[in-house]
Amino acid sequence: MSEPLVTFRNVKKHFDDFVAVRDMDLDIYPGEFLAIMGSSGCGKTTTLRMLAGLETPTAGQIHIGGELMNNVKPHERDTPLVWQSLALFPFLSARENVEFGLKMRGVAPAERTRRALEWLNRMEIGEFAERNITTLSGGQKQRVALARSLVMEPKMLLLDEPLSALDANLVIRMQAVLTRLQKELGITFVYVTHSQSEAFAMADRVVIMSQGEIAQVGSPKDIYRAPANRFVAEFVGRNNILTGTQVSQDGNGIVVETPSGTFIASAPETARSDGSEVTFVVSADLVSLSVEEPQDRNRVLCTLISEEFVGSMVTLFLESSDGHEFKVQMQERDLIELDLHSGSQIWLSWAVENAHVLDGE
Amino acid sequence: MNQTRVLNIMLVLYVACIFAFIFAPILFSLVFSFNSQRFPTIPLGEFSTEWYAKIFADPDVWIAARNSLIVSVSTAVVATFLGFCTAYSDFRYNFRFKGPYLALILLPPTIPLIIMALAMLAWLSKLGLSGQLWSIILAHSVLTAPFAMAIIRLRLNQMDPDLESAAWNLGGSEWQAMRHVIIPFCMPSIVSALCLTAAVSFDEFAVSWFVSGLNKTVPVVILEIVQGNIDPQVNAIGTFVFLTSMTLVILAQVFFISRQVKSHS
Amino acid sequence: MKRRFDIYAMTWRLPIIFWQFLFFVGPLLFMVAISFFVVKNYRMTEAFEFVNWQKMFSKGYFWDSYWYTIFIAALSSTVAMILAFPASFALAFRASDNLRRWAIFLLIIPFFTSYLVRTFSWYVILAESGVLNAMLGYIGLGPFKMLNTHFGTVVGYLTLTLPLVVILQTVTMANVDKTLIEAARNLGCKPLATIWRVILPLSKTGFIVAALFCFILSFGDFVAPFYLGGSQEPTLPILILDTTKSGQQWPRAAVVAIMMMVTLFTIAFAAIALAYRKGGAK
Repeated sequence: MSEPLVTFRNVKKHFDDFVAVRDMDLDIYPGEFLAIMGSSGCGKTTTLRMLAGLETPTAGQIHIGGELMNNVKPHERDTPLVWQSLALFPFLSARENVEFGLKMRGVAPAERTRRALEWLNRMEIGEFAERNITTLSGGQKQRVALARSLVMEPKMLLLDEPLSALDANLVIRMQAVLTRLQKELGITFVYVTHSQSEAFAMADRVVIMSQGEIAQVGSPKDIYRAPANRFVAEFVGRNNILTGTQVSQDGNGIVVETPSGTFIASAPETARSDGSEVTFVVSADLVSLSVEEPQDRNRVLCTLISEEFVGSMVTLFLESSDGHEFKVQMQERDLIELDLHSGSQIWLSWAVENAHVLDGE
Repeated sequence: MNQTRVLNIMLVLYVACIFAFIFAPILFSLVFSFNSQRFPTIPLGEFSTEWYAKIFADPDVWIAARNSLIVSVSTAVVATFLGFCTAYSDFRYNFRFKGPYLALILLPPTIPLIIMALAMLAWLSKLGLSGQLWSIILAHSVLTAPFAMAIIRLRLNQMDPDLESAAWNLGGSEWQAMRHVIIPFCMPSIVSALCLTAAVSFDEFAVSWFVSGLNKTVPVVILEIVQGNIDPQVNAIGTFVFLTSMTLVILAQVFFISRQVKSHS
Repeated sequence: MKRRFDIYAMTWRLPIIFWQFLFFVGPLLFMVAISFFVVKNYRMTEAFEFVNWQKMFSKGYFWDSYWYTIFIAALSSTVAMILAFPASFALAFRASDNLRRWAIFLLIIPFFTSYLVRTFSWYVILAESGVLNAMLGYIGLGPFKMLNTHFGTVVGYLTLTLPLVVILQTVTMANVDKTLIEAARNLGCKPLATIWRVILPLSKTGFIVAALFCFILSFGDFVAPFYLGGSQEPTLPILILDTTKSGQQWPRAAVVAIMMMVTLFTIAFAAIALAYRKGGAK
């Protein structure tokens, strides 16, 4: 890739005794859609606020476009932010809200009105330009907030959970709007969210944070298929996580003995010795079900506990004889053929290459 | 059931009595101001505008009215400025000694006016600042700033704290954010605070009486008339004072409440 | 961290500090100072002597006045709290939200009408041949002497405090969790017992604050005892007034004022401690 637009080097942020961000190293590249994801208090919003200059790093350096930004004030930066609360000015009309940043930058009235209207039209809310902001709907306000930031023609747009206040179907529509805008404008989007579906649906790369540290950076697919550690594996969800002892190693992978049985997991040649503890994950959608005992070496007999439907997908929750919980995700129509009910016994199996060994565990 | 109804009727009557007690002096003052008797009693005398004619013809009353106007308007401006600064500091910043800092502005109304009057008189004389109209303004600004602070602080409570950061984020300096975001947002409460502090200052007599020297305000004139003898002129002046104060209070309410309702919708 | 001077922050923080030290803390401290000054030939001169304190403390009339002021302010506060209660109760529990808002708005009006004019109005109403005695005369009562009595003073104090007490009591009781009252009734608590055992304990803080405000206002008022009470037994504020306005004895007035402040602070601290004490078993 090209030169990074933003670099974080050993960035720390403390609030009194609380460590919000510790030793962060991160590169953000021009034109990418980067999502920073994590549960509340993980430091993702603090990271974003440091980019906007609303927080000053306690230690370390943040460069934007090669310039050290640590002590650059918020208003001297070109990092417009779309706020979780939207933070639209209630005493101004939609157009005046969009013009606000241009006015601060000293753009002449006629010019700023023209540019504001252009953006409102582009966001398909031109007809509401003169309406008071408090009279607009949630989705319309969202578009005003986007227009207000984008009219500044930034190289990078920061977004702090902008869709969290919208209802589900509106979220999907706004996701499409955001991805399209990002592609058209070719600018960097840094998008903070706690929602995995938002991050995975839109981002080129996802940063997963936990307790102020980066747990993993990678494409949605990398993170989904090859979680770097137990935290990510659990956070991403719908992963079966098994821990056991390595008993031997052969050309196919490593043999791991767990309370639920002995399995083979794919792993590159490692220095791991027999007898060491190994954790591997199997994605719930890569597990097959069969009534007959399958031929695969990775198989386990489980009892069905419950099922959960989301659209046409269904997640089954099962339990092996030693009480370990397994999750299996499949299409609902495939489930009907199996004719399962609570308490049914069924075989689970998966291919060796789908059992992914976690590093450093 | 019947018992509860009797009880409820008695409660309603009781509330009416309490309100009658509270409003009796106000209403009687209004009635007496149009009554020809010098010592009003029942039955009432004839309708008369004699007392109004008298006060309109009295140059002292006009001077006092002018003085009161100057004092209350200036007080309102100073107190609202002080109240705004403090409310914003409290809203925006955390700092050491914030408790004592807030006590500094909020305490004056809890101190009896007669004590404030004595202390102000002694101190302002010492500084050579007593006996002037602006002596009253200095004293009143201390007494009324807490009301301005409270009203503006309540308004700031309703503000999304991100609003100010959003202004910075869009390229506004702290000063620009103040001018283009904080002040417009607080405007209704600033107007309310101006009206309310003006009204409080307009009615205050103890401190004014002590520090004003020869520059009497309307309440001081009332005080001196009352000290002399029974003179129904007081009622006529009272009517004007009442109308002025009420106008200010209602304006304050209109600005404050209407915005309150608006921001909830 | 850098500790440089933040002009913006200080622009908003410093004015009130400057202003209040100059015109609030300054006067009060100076008042303490002049209580040690001496007056010679009708002129106050700077000194550090306890003569004013000794003079005032040795005077019988000062202590008479001191205890009388506490007594009459406490009496009027008690009367106000009791008189206000049924009305506040009705407004808090029987009135609709809308009616209650209107009632409170009406009760705010008196604060912005001249207290002097209202007192003068009472003077005329309560006079020997005034409106009230004339009305009582029709039903064959009186005339009663109401001016220049404790009664007159208390009426004056109530004019000042009753609206505030009703507002504070009403707001306090309206905020009591209604489900607790229903729960008590449901458990067989009789109406009066519910007031005594549920509503009052839950409203304790608000009621103590109301009584405290009432006391502070009455304690510091000179208008009611002067015009309606006839100042036959002067209260402390009247003492201040007399010593300042007629005798030029500012130092002695300062002594009285300081005693008033000390008394008020003591009572306020005690009341606040009582109000926020963890509710023990009753």
